Amino acid sequence: MKAHPGRLASALLLTLMLASGASAQEGRDPLMRLERTARYSVEVLMDSARLMGLPTRPIESKVLEGLSKNASPRLILAVARNVFRSLRDARAALGPKATLDELDAAASALRVGMTQSELGQLGRSQHGKLLTVPLVVLVDLISRGVPRDTASQTIFQLWQRGAADDDFLGLWRGVERDIVSGADPGAALLNRARQVPSREPPPVSPPRPE
Amino acid sequence: MSDELNSIDESVRLIVMEARRPVAIDPEARRRLAEALRAEPAPTRSSRVLSWFVEPRPFALPPFTTAALAAGLVGIGVLTGIALNRDGRAPTEQPRAVAASSQLPDSVAPRAIKFVLVAPQAARVSVVGDFNGWDSAATPAKREADGTWTTYVPLRPGRHIYSFVVDGTHFVSDPSAPIAPDDGYGQKNSVVVVAGASS
Repeated sequence: MKAHPGRLASALLLTLMLASGASAQEGRDPLMRLERTARYSVEVLMDSARLMGLPTRPIESKVLEGLSKNASPRLILAVARNVFRSLRDARAALGPKATLDELDAAASALRVGMTQSELGQLGRSQHGKLLTVPLVVLVDLISRGVPRDTASQTIFQLWQRGAADDDFLGLWRGVERDIVSGADPGAALLNRARQVPSREPPPVSPPRPE
Repeated sequence: MSDELNSIDESVRLIVMEARRPVAIDPEARRRLAEALRAEPAPTRSSRVLSWFVEPRPFALPPFTTAALAAGLVGIGVLTGIALNRDGRAPTEQPRAVAASSQLPDSVAPRAIKFVLVAPQAARVSVVGDFNGWDSAATPAKREADGTWTTYVPLRPGRHIYSFVVDGTHFVSDPSAPIAPDDGYGQKNSVVVVAGASS
């Protein structure tokens, strides 16, 4: 069979065009699905976050979540701005050493009504432990109807008593079961919190001699 | 004007005559050249191969083939650019080593986390979250005989937000996980904290 250079070249061209098209679909920016004006605003927002040393992943994730849920570009932009603001406030409250997960969890806590001063109080008594799990539990409790003040004060007291991640998760499971069984959310939390064993707080390092 | 043209024609004629005049070569010079050529080593096989690659040679291609090859080269460039994520835009996330703290090192391997939803009436269930770009086609769950849907997702230590998608349209939070608040889209998500980051 005689190879025809023209046909060969056509086949090569077609294959490459299809391959580049498919690959471009896979590799392109996921935010490309967002309407152009909103995308521009989100990109500016993310650039600002980057300049301020804030993580951009939570913002991008919220945008993708909105796209997945068929939210309007206007709503997506509003949600992204809210996430940006809460990340900025969380960083201000927790300081530059907070991890990405802590910042993200703290930003969620701010969005359910926790104040920056309460967050800062938690951050100042970290003793080297991560705040992620206590904040996740706190946000869940508020979302399930526990009064905000009750939830934040209880979590703060347990935190100061040296409660570990497992203690907080155990508390959450108990309260969640009680609420499902019909208990008042605030009362369920106070009741379950009494059952959390008090742990020795981490040793406080003595002040250095002058 | 005519005199000027005549003088140019005469000059051209003289140049042509000079160019056509045979050049007398000294026989001694011819002999020296022949000896020098004989003294040159014969080309080896490797040097012939090398010269095949480096010596210029003319070749001709039809315009369509040339265009196809050019398009092919552009396509390869585009594919390479995409593979290297060098599309001219700034990356959407800082390098993990910068964004994450030293308590969450990059070297910590992902762990397979099991997601379970009881939905006997569902025709299909998938998991979406910050780990798969909220793509409902990325992580489908498998139906068990008792009507539960399960899937495993490799997750890095840390906090992840997710949701189940039932029948492609209904977002359902995980009843066995802490809730993340509704940030405005109308549905609450779930949170999983993969151990390792806080220990």
